[in-house]
Amino acid sequence: MDRTEALLIADLCEGDETALAPLVERYKRMVYRLAVQITKNHADADDVMQETFIKVYRSIHTFRRDAAFETWLYRIAVNEALNFVRRRERHRETTIETTPETAYEVSTRYRVQLANDPHAQAEKAELRQYVTEAVNSLSLKHRTVVILHEFEGLTHAEIASILNCSEGTVRSRLHYARKKLRTLLKPYMEASAI
Amino acid sequence: MRTKCHKIERLVSDYIDGTLSERQTAAVAAHIRSCQSCQREVTDLKKTRHLLKNFYVEPDASDAYYTQFTTQLQQRIEHSAPTALHQRFAAVATRLGWQLLTQMYRYTDHFRPSRFISIRRHALPYYVLALAMTLLIAAPLLLTQVSLHNTGEYVRLPSALQPAVTLATEQDQTAAHPIGIRRNMNSERTTETPAVDSGSDVWKFTDEPMVDGYIFAKLRKNSSDAVPNVALGIDSELLAYAESPTQGAIWARLTSRDVLTEGRYTLLLLRGINTGQHALQQYERKRSESKGFSQISEKLLDVPLEMLSVAAVYDPIEL
Repeated sequence: MDRTEALLIADLCEGDETALAPLVERYKRMVYRLAVQITKNHADADDVMQETFIKVYRSIHTFRRDAAFETWLYRIAVNEALNFVRRRERHRETTIETTPETAYEVSTRYRVQLANDPHAQAEKAELRQYVTEAVNSLSLKHRTVVILHEFEGLTHAEIASILNCSEGTVRSRLHYARKKLRTLLKPYMEASAI
Repeated sequence: MRTKCHKIERLVSDYIDGTLSERQTAAVAAHIRSCQSCQREVTDLKKTRHLLKNFYVEPDASDAYYTQFTTQLQQRIEHSAPTALHQRFAAVATRLGWQLLTQMYRYTDHFRPSRFISIRRHALPYYVLALAMTLLIAAPLLLTQVSLHNTGEYVRLPSALQPAVTLATEQDQTAAHPIGIRRNMNSERTTETPAVDSGSDVWKFTDEPMVDGYIFAKLRKNSSDAVPNVALGIDSELLAYAESPTQGAIWARLTSRDVLTEGRYTLLLLRGINTGQHALQQYERKRSESKGFSQISEKLLDVPLEMLSVAAVYDPIEL
C-alpha cells in the first residue's frame, strides 16, 4: 500500500467522502473484471461493483491498516459477486426462470471485441474465444479459483483468505479446474503451437 | 506404480506452479522422467496453463461506462444518509422475513410441511428465531410508522394506533372559557403522563421550541355550545383526537421528531352536523392546505367527512 493510498484510506475513515473517488478510479477496472468474470453478465457486474464500493465506503473503519487494501477489496468484491450469483440462482430455482445462460452475452461481447482486433489472426481469435468459453463453463467455485490464481496472480494463501477456506481446498479446486480445462481445450492444444 | 502415480497426480498442479518444496519437486521430477502417463499429464497441464495465460480474453468495459458508474456511485453515496438504528433493524427484519417466506415456499413443496421439516429440521430454530425477530421489530414500527406520504415526509399517526389520547374528566366546570391549551408545565422533557391541571386555562407558547414532551388541551364546555370534538395536530400530523368530551383534556406526547413552535400546530373543534357554512368552508380550506390532515382525519375518525363540520380553527394568537 503506497502512501497516497494510505492517506486516502485514512481520510475515508474520517468520513471524507471525496477520498473514495480516487480509490474507485484506481480499482474500478479490477473490480469490474472480477465481477463480470464471476457473474458472467455485465448488468450483474455493475450491481456487484456498486455494492462493493458502497461496502468499502461503509466498512472502511473495519479495515486493518497493516493489511493490504487490495486483498481486502478482493475479498469484498469476490464475496459480493459470489453472493450475487448464489442469490440469482436461488431466485431462478424458485421462479423457474428460463432465461438463457448469461455467458452467451459475455461471449458475444468478446466476439465483438475480437472482431475489432485488427492484429488478431482468425485462428488466434477463435482460440481466444474457445479458451474464454472454456473458463466460463467451469463451475462457480472452480472458475473463481482459476480467475484469482491464473489471471489475478494471487497466491493460494491469499485466495484461501479471500474465500475463507483452507489452502488445501484452493489447491484441490485449482487442480480439478485445470483438469477440466485440459479436457475442454485438448483439441486446441496442438493448434496453439506450443 | 499406480499408487505412486495417484500420489504424484495430486502434486502435479503445484509442481507446474512451482509451489512445492524442493524435496517434493525432486520426487515429482524423478517420477515423470520414468512415467510417460504422468509426463503427458504434466505437459498437458502446462499447455493448458499456457493457453489460459496467452489466449484468455480478460473482460473490460468502455471508459464511458466507468464514467457513468463513478457518477452513479457518487450520487448513491450522497443520498445514502446515515440511517437510524431502528430503520436498519426494520430493513434487516424485512429481509429476514422475506427470506423466511421464500425459503418456506421452496421447501414446503406445495404445502407438504412434513417435507419442509424433514429437509430443514436443523434450520427450523433459525427460521423461528427470524420470524420472532421480524415480528418483534417490525410490528411496533408498522404500528407507529404509517407511511402516509405527505409532501415527501412520513406521517406519524400515533393516536390511531396507540393509546396516546386520553381524556381526563374534570369535575369542576364553572369557567365559561371555551378552550385552553398549554404546555405541560411540569418539565421540559417528560415521559410522565401529564396530570390534568385545573389551575390555568391560558395557552402558552414560549419562544423556545419544545420537543419530547406533552401538549395539553384543556376542554371546557361553553354554556351556549354543543359538546365539541377536538383534534390536535402539528402541521398536517394529527397528534390526538378527543371525541365528545363533555369537559376534560386532550393531550398528546411529542417525540423528538415533533418540534412544537408557534404556528405549526392546528387545533380543530369538530362538532355535529350542520353547524354552519362558514365553518365548513374553513374546514375545506384547511383540508386543501394540508392534504395530509384530511387523510389522517378520515382514517382516524372513520366517519364520512360530510358528517363533520368545523366550528373554528384557532390560531395561537387567537387563543
